[in-house]
Amino acid sequence: MNAPVRFQSLTVAGLEIRASGTTIVRDVALKISQGRPVTLLGASGSGKSLVAHAIMGSLPTGLSARGEIKLDDADLLAASPAQTRARWGRTIAILPQEPWLALDPTMRIAGQVGEVHEYLHGLGSAEAGTSMRSDLAEVGLGDRTQAYPHELSGGMCQRAAIAVTHAAGASLLIADEPTKGLDAALRDGVVDRLRREVEQGRLLLTITHDIEVAAALGGLIGVMQDGALVEFGPAAEVLERPRHDYARTLIAADPARWTAPALPPAGEAVASARGLAKRFGERTLFDGLDISVRRGEIVAIVGPSGCGKTTIGNILLGLVRADRGEVQRAPDIAQIRFQKLYQDPPAAFAPHQTLRQGLGDLLKLHGLPWSQAEASMGRFGLGQELLDRRPNEVSGGELQRFAILRALLLDPVFLFADEATSRLDPISQKQVFAILIEAVRERGLGLLMVTHEVALAEKVASRILRLPN
Amino acid sequence: MSIADATLIPAAKRVWLTPARTTGLILLGLLALFALLGPLLVTADPTEQDFAASLAPPGSDYWLGADHYGRSMLARLAYGARLSFGMALLTVATAAVPGILLGLLAAWRGGLLERALELFSTVLLALPGLLLVLILLAFAPGTFGPLYLGLALTLWIEFYRVTRVTAAGVLKQPHVEATRLLGFGTGYILRSLVLPEIRPILITLAAFAMSTAIIAISTLSAISVGLRPPTPELGAMIVELLPYYAEAPLHVLMPGLLIFLLVLGLQLATRSDIR
Repeated sequence: MNAPVRFQSLTVAGLEIRASGTTIVRDVALKISQGRPVTLLGASGSGKSLVAHAIMGSLPTGLSARGEIKLDDADLLAASPAQTRARWGRTIAILPQEPWLALDPTMRIAGQVGEVHEYLHGLGSAEAGTSMRSDLAEVGLGDRTQAYPHELSGGMCQRAAIAVTHAAGASLLIADEPTKGLDAALRDGVVDRLRREVEQGRLLLTITHDIEVAAALGGLIGVMQDGALVEFGPAAEVLERPRHDYARTLIAADPARWTAPALPPAGEAVASARGLAKRFGERTLFDGLDISVRRGEIVAIVGPSGCGKTTIGNILLGLVRADRGEVQRAPDIAQIRFQKLYQDPPAAFAPHQTLRQGLGDLLKLHGLPWSQAEASMGRFGLGQELLDRRPNEVSGGELQRFAILRALLLDPVFLFADEATSRLDPISQKQVFAILIEAVRERGLGLLMVTHEVALAEKVASRILRLPN
Repeated sequence: MSIADATLIPAAKRVWLTPARTTGLILLGLLALFALLGPLLVTADPTEQDFAASLAPPGSDYWLGADHYGRSMLARLAYGARLSFGMALLTVATAAVPGILLGLLAAWRGGLLERALELFSTVLLALPGLLLVLILLAFAPGTFGPLYLGLALTLWIEFYRVTRVTAAGVLKQPHVEATRLLGFGTGYILRSLVLPEIRPILITLAAFAMSTAIIAISTLSAISVGLRPPTPELGAMIVELLPYYAEAPLHVLMPGLLIFLLVLGLQLATRSDIR
């Protein structure tokens, strides 16, 4: 293994990011040193990813950074584009979010790790092969070197991406939402890997909205809100005694600290199924599964990624046919009163339509007045100005609340929330569940939620269905 | 790479009227005026011969000169532009409408219907386009009907294939499922969700098809199987004037220049600014 130059620290002071006259990120000051990783917490849209891109030197066109970013004594902001590019991979590496999109789908992972040794470090192909095997063995993929990314699970892809960045030997590692979309077991595995990178003397900057990840990584924690770093300090101190109001709200929004909702007794069943079986190709997802959802109750399905949780909900909605088994839905209830919430809020909206167009068409189709939608928007904390934006110009939390509003307009009796908050920050997650729980209590909605967060399910669900792997 | 903080960045105003697009639209406008108004304003008959003026250079008698039979070049170019451009437009419209509709149908219904359409289009695609036109032209040589039908028959496949593939991609997305769950019907989904997303691709495709049609019509006239003389058609004009290239090079270039300007205008006007 080559021994790259190890840097001692990264110092950011008075960082400001401007876009055409407006300052969108300001007053960011932090210091990462060996053995003291920094984790930035905050909602999406709080500017934490922009800080990472400013350090990386990869801000989108139209944005400019000012202030000071120093890697030991080298000023990163003063570097020319060529110098910045030369640093990528060698000195600074980014661990992408959703690595299954960042890995090359047409190349075996052995090749993807091997080419780093061969072309970046100039090793011969035999040496590169040996280093590649040891890198992959170290992340526990020693027996899967010949696999393509699509043959690996999300967690394995993330570990392969870690092996690629590890092979590059960069001394500063930026992990952008490294655990997004991973279940608890896989998340812990990734956090473990990142901690080992820190032990090997790498500087680590992690961006996440998962408080447990921040707690497990230790070091220093920064909390960002609306483009400003509002809190920065040692992990234990920030998590135990946050000083800033927003940091306090954020940390209190961790599902483990919620109070369980009080729900009235459940009513009659709205959707139920008996003896369900479903296979995908050779794999049996489940067999002989019974499930029922009654009015006014919250049923959670918990299980690891890829165990068929979402398929169960889709079968109850009638979107997917079961191979065997009986599905019963409450008779005399219109199909449109069975609704679904999606994991990725922007994916559930037409990308080119403004929210006003989409909502307007829905109201017109069902003959509902605008006043009803406006009243709900007020109650869900959604401003009128959001209506003229497109889905990708609205934050995930707001868009998910908008999706709930859209579904609730049709007065549903059954709502299937498919990992509806797994991509949201804790505060948005809490807001979304507050709305959902209110609908369950007041309208007698039957809520079926699918999640990989056991803590969340245990807090809110009336009943939990655990699926084995 | 996508930036998670995209909502913080003020959305840049998308400029629809880029300089390239403006140039293209102006060019198309001028050509349309020439093709539509030219035949009305130019009083000269495009078939009237005056051997005294054979191969006259551009001047006061004939603004753009006269061809080897002494026919006014200006009149012939104006009539030729109207014929060639009009025919291309009609051909593309005839190819695009069924192509897009069948593509949407195949993407929506799938199954046996999609496979049958695929087989049919593959068989047609295996035939060289010009051969198909020549076969049809053999029934009624020198007339517009078979020429137009043959071209439309080869051009619709592109529209069908592109529509089917892109529409199938859109239909698989969760927002289509969400829209259906909200009670919207097939018509709304195709009209409001699928069509807006495939429109930019189809417009670009239509511009390319226009170019293909114009060049195909001119080529066929040039090898004397398209429209018959003395019909003023741009391709035929080039062929007729080619023997006199040494004496009157400008005359040969004029119809070619018109075709070039039209294709350039189409490409500039429909150029997509997605990078």
